[in-house]
Amino acid sequence: MGEAPIFHFNDERESIVTEVVGRVTRGARDPSMLLNDAAYHELKRLEQRPGDERAEYLMFREVARTARKMSEEDRRRKVEDLARFYAQDVAGNFNPRVYALTSKVLPRALAALLAPMDVASALRSTTLLQKHLVTQGPVDAIKKLAKRGTVIFVPTHLSNLDSVVFGFALEREGLPPATYGAGKNLFTNPLLSYFMHNLGAYRVDRRIRHELYKDVLKTYSCVLLERGFHSLFFPGGTRCRSGVVEEKLKLGLLGTGVEAYVNSLRRGREQRVFIVPATINYLLTLEAATLIEDYLSEVGRNRYIIEDDESTQLSRVVTLVRRLVRSSGSVVIRFGQPLDPFSNRVTEDGRSVTPRGRSVDPASYVTRRGVAVPDEARDAQYTRELGEAICRSYARETVLLATHLVCGAAFARMRDAYPQADLFSLLRHKDEVFLPQDEFVRRVADLLELACAQEDREALVLAPGVRQARPEELIAEASRAMAEYHTRPALSPTEGGFMLSEPSLLLYYQNRLAVSGLGFHPARRSGP
Amino acid sequence: MSASELSTVGVLGGGRWGLALVTAASRAGRAVCFCTRRAEQAVPEGVSVTTDYRVLSRSCTLILVATPSDVVRDVARQLGDEVDGSHFLVHGIRGLSGEGLVPVSAILREETPCRRVGALAGPAVAEDLVAGRPGVIAVASRYPEVTQAVSEALGSPTLRVYPTSDLLGAEWASALTGVLLLALGYARASGLPPALVAGLLTRATHECSRIGAAAGGEEKTFLDLPGIGDLLAAMGQTERPEVRLGELLGQGASLEDARERVGQRVEAPMLVPRVVAFARERRLRAPIIETLGAVLAGRLGRDEAFKNLMEFKG
Repeated sequence: MGEAPIFHFNDERESIVTEVVGRVTRGARDPSMLLNDAAYHELKRLEQRPGDERAEYLMFREVARTARKMSEEDRRRKVEDLARFYAQDVAGNFNPRVYALTSKVLPRALAALLAPMDVASALRSTTLLQKHLVTQGPVDAIKKLAKRGTVIFVPTHLSNLDSVVFGFALEREGLPPATYGAGKNLFTNPLLSYFMHNLGAYRVDRRIRHELYKDVLKTYSCVLLERGFHSLFFPGGTRCRSGVVEEKLKLGLLGTGVEAYVNSLRRGREQRVFIVPATINYLLTLEAATLIEDYLSEVGRNRYIIEDDESTQLSRVVTLVRRLVRSSGSVVIRFGQPLDPFSNRVTEDGRSVTPRGRSVDPASYVTRRGVAVPDEARDAQYTRELGEAICRSYARETVLLATHLVCGAAFARMRDAYPQADLFSLLRHKDEVFLPQDEFVRRVADLLELACAQEDREALVLAPGVRQARPEELIAEASRAMAEYHTRPALSPTEGGFMLSEPSLLLYYQNRLAVSGLGFHPARRSGP
Repeated sequence: MSASELSTVGVLGGGRWGLALVTAASRAGRAVCFCTRRAEQAVPEGVSVTTDYRVLSRSCTLILVATPSDVVRDVARQLGDEVDGSHFLVHGIRGLSGEGLVPVSAILREETPCRRVGALAGPAVAEDLVAGRPGVIAVASRYPEVTQAVSEALGSPTLRVYPTSDLLGAEWASALTGVLLLALGYARASGLPPALVAGLLTRATHECSRIGAAAGGEEKTFLDLPGIGDLLAAMGQTERPEVRLGELLGQGASLEDARERVGQRVEAPMLVPRVVAFARERRLRAPIIETLGAVLAGRLGRDEAFKNLMEFKG
């Protein structure tokens, strides 16, 4: 086994695009519908920003005007043209030189960013970031699996920093780099764009909603998996607004896992696919204030892209990162047990194993009398069950940090203060509830005890040091961290205790406790 | 798939229901492999009989599991050594297991490598299948190819197979209808007028559908064959064990006594208290099922029970 396939991406780029275009064109069942659907959505989108992308606008107007009159053959050719147009836009770029350079300087560069006052010492200390980012889980097994097949990492998604932090963790642990689809809007942010652009990210324009574009994206992902490119999907689809660990996933891209596996069997060259769930856990979330506000606002239910949140403001990123490095272990990435596309656990030597510990041949799920058979309905169901298995893994591998427990205790106090209030009226009581230090300590201690019991049952995980910490220490760490980062403090130190100043932030951080039942669940509107 | 390609149908479990499924598949023109411990059983012509799970799994893709509910986990665990991801397992077992009310399909998934599982869910009964009387039967699976395979295995001019994708709903509906049948027998033996019996059962069906929806099923499944369909069928059948047990209880027999006289295993009385607890935990309104639970537990006499229900406010 040599280098990960991504190092040769640029050599393969053209052939990948060609394969994607060919498959999408051949698979088009109704070219006329695809063209009209594409033209309708694109014209609607482009009309909103006249001036920009004028050539595109004219192109789609032409499609809309002529699609009806075209011969079937011309329509198919037009589908092919558009598929190529999109595939070229989506296809990423991997620059091995940039990667090599980045992996050498990234810790230093980030360190420098974190402590610009003391650049010299930061550059000396490449280990600075090591201490703040903790990686847990079966890393060695994943390394071995990456040599046997294609690995799909499927982490939880809270922040635009996720892909950078996750990419860094892969690199540090000696895991191969993974390609991933990143929102096109992120490429406008110079900081994030720099990391993403040359590290294999492909561009996903979430403003485009029509079938043809979705076909291109899924086919692109599928072709990459079949060719052995390790991939990273955020199966939640978008950053989680509420902070609750994902309980339901978007299955579109995830479904390309089983599809790629079946295709490889049909070609007679089995390419195993391994799914690795992971949780990314932050002491502080970069965009917490915007995300929770968006979750709570009625319009937010449909808002998919936020153009103006904290991740586009360099100063907020710097403030956050500076704050994070003050606590060791302030970001915990935890890998779960690897799975096959049929939700079976996979051992480090690549065997699929059932809950009773029997080995099972994964090909048996998709073959009939020795021949692999494609079946969309069947594979959609396998993927749905895989999604459920990933969510169960998320719940088990969620890592609780000081802010989650402390906000959990504080928010429970809020609920006790207004037992009749619904969520929205509860959140309006800013700076009204005082939590005396001794009661706060008692509440945190009780919550910690329950959390420890759940950790003993392997239902969740406590971050390093949390179990041993005294409640006073957790309160001090969480309140200090939030005060130093968030513009509006969630907890204001007052004589003898804390004023609960920003209930929506308390809600946001305590939401990490919702799935385990230790905290209030905002969607179910119920809690302990 | 053409008829000549159709593989042998497997049936596991030699009780009345297993034999009925063997007969139905045989009548549908399919080769059948019947896995039973009762070697002396008379079987239709062309049915091969075995006691060996390996023989069963080698010759069949579709295996219909028709064991008693209390042994299904052990049977599935042993079967799990022989089957792989290519097998379809479809059970015809009414019941939800343990305090957690685990559906049988979940047990099959836990104990075997199989993913493609399903359930048969009424209203045809074993006697009808054996006698070849016309009937309908529902089959539920989240995998269309599984319901398709069962249609091909059992469907014939005298048996119509209805597919549904709501596996969880069908299993819950089937189990909870068992509870309603118990109530039917009890109400009948107590001499309630038919309109009142119908009223109570209709309202109880609503309770069941709310409970089933909370468990992850679809409410409409309770208004379909696995629910209402099975209940209506039982109105005209005298030999349903759940109804019989309810009648004996309504006549004043103790639970042990009634069980002994029915002779067959009936899950419903064990299920009721667990369903009541499930509904309470989720704050679901289920006054009729709760009352039935109180009666079964001996906390409420018959007259008080009906008085409570007639005066219930909520």
